[in-house]
Amino acid sequence: MINWKRQKYSIFLASMAIFTYFVFNDIVDGDWKSLENSLDNLSVFFHESLWPPNWKVIEAQAYPVCERNSDFLCSPAYIGISTTLKIAFVSTCLGFIISLPIAVLSSRNLNNDLIAIPFRYLLAAMRTLPSILWALLFVITVGLGAVSGVLALTFYTVGYLGKLQYEAIEGLASEPLDAARAMGLKKTEIVQRVVIPETGNNLISQLLFMFEYNVRHGSIIGIVGAGGLGYYIPTYLKYFQYDKIMALLIILFFVVVIIDLLSMKARSYFIDDATFKSPSLFENIFRGK
Amino acid sequence: MSSARSVVHAKNLKIGYSKKAVLAQIDNLEIQQTEIVSITGESGLGKTTFLKTIANLVKPIEGTLKTFDSAITDVRGRIGYIPQKLGLIKHETVFSNVLAGAICNESIWRSITGFHEEKIIDRVQEAIKQMNLEDKIDESIKRLSGGQQRRVAIARTIAQNPELILADEFLSELDEKTAENVWKTMLDYVHANSITLIIVEHNTGRAQMAERCFKLEKNEKLNCSILKENN
Repeated sequence: MINWKRQKYSIFLASMAIFTYFVFNDIVDGDWKSLENSLDNLSVFFHESLWPPNWKVIEAQAYPVCERNSDFLCSPAYIGISTTLKIAFVSTCLGFIISLPIAVLSSRNLNNDLIAIPFRYLLAAMRTLPSILWALLFVITVGLGAVSGVLALTFYTVGYLGKLQYEAIEGLASEPLDAARAMGLKKTEIVQRVVIPETGNNLISQLLFMFEYNVRHGSIIGIVGAGGLGYYIPTYLKYFQYDKIMALLIILFFVVVIIDLLSMKARSYFIDDATFKSPSLFENIFRGK
Repeated sequence: MSSARSVVHAKNLKIGYSKKAVLAQIDNLEIQQTEIVSITGESGLGKTTFLKTIANLVKPIEGTLKTFDSAITDVRGRIGYIPQKLGLIKHETVFSNVLAGAICNESIWRSITGFHEEKIIDRVQEAIKQMNLEDKIDESIKRLSGGQQRRVAIARTIAQNPELILADEFLSELDEKTAENVWKTMLDYVHANSITLIIVEHNTGRAQMAERCFKLEKNEKLNCSILKENN
């Protein structure tokens, strides 16, 4: 006889699979034939338009005029990637500085609901708009260029990082907070002496994660004119130069992989139970004895 | 010796986390300055909640609770609380943890900016010395043994220089010898400085070393526990 209680996970997974099928069926209006040729089309598009990549993207571009003495330093790939990295770096730092006080005010273990809930809504509202829509908004209000990109990603970072931060703060053990409150320390002192030191590792880990995230998104927001790698994509699309887009995507892929690896390595030193860890200068600098 | 004054006065006090679930009832309790008081009782009867209520971490459901002869308002630095799990900042050093206690004795401005008065730093170093932790002063809390961590918690309280210490089973998880040492250190300190000490203690032997012993007992009729003094 089947023990239904023991099979609950299998039943759940099977139910989810069936439910997904029906939702997808609804999306394609029951006409599965429309998907039949998609793989063939993809193959034709890949061989005719994407491959081989056009590596002219690492050569100097004609416009705008570049006065650097190396072809590579004047190439769309270098200018695009370096601008994307700059946008990601500045917006992550600004976002962190702005989100931390908001996260403290959103934490329910430090404030009552009358204070915490409005700030949570503020963070949720900032997260609701995807970074590309923030970028569109700032391109309209500030103008084309990397500054709009920085503002767009800063706003999104505040919403996203703020949520991660208040969740980390709420995960704090209650004893250090109780001891500090009983002593009569003021809220600012509690944040400075208890909250930040106890959540510090999580906060830095989240900061590094957010930088990775912003590098990926920083390469897209240029599509709407907010600077970075994405700035070149609409032009290439306009002239059907898909092979150049392919080359940029391959370069972006390797940059993201390198940042991911460095960030994963760095983050491992700030997470107590990380499995990926080895003693290094990093530990000596940041963790003390 | 100065005449004893009331440090904790509870009358018709009901404690707990909601009106529908009163944990304990304290009809009348007066604790004088310099007294050492223990509270025992089975788990779940409200010992920790009572301590937290005195520390103003939990609001009383009903009745009055006065500390230092007045309703609790600003008690900055006057109450030292050692939770069961000590409440130390695990990622910080011994010095930083003890400093967190000492800053109660300076202005908030100095505490936040980090421009501490020299006497505050001296107080921290003195407290660490009293607990024989000089060689661990820059060590992270995570790297200390259970006994050493408890001594840091006491050092933090010493640096705070409170009038009332509330300690919640702070000797649990220690071997008998270490527990005796830590307990003796605490007693020496409170005796020398005329401090009131209220401890929640599971170990009845240690609880009876206090001057007054109270026990929380389940009362089926009231559906909560009541505090009784053991004579």
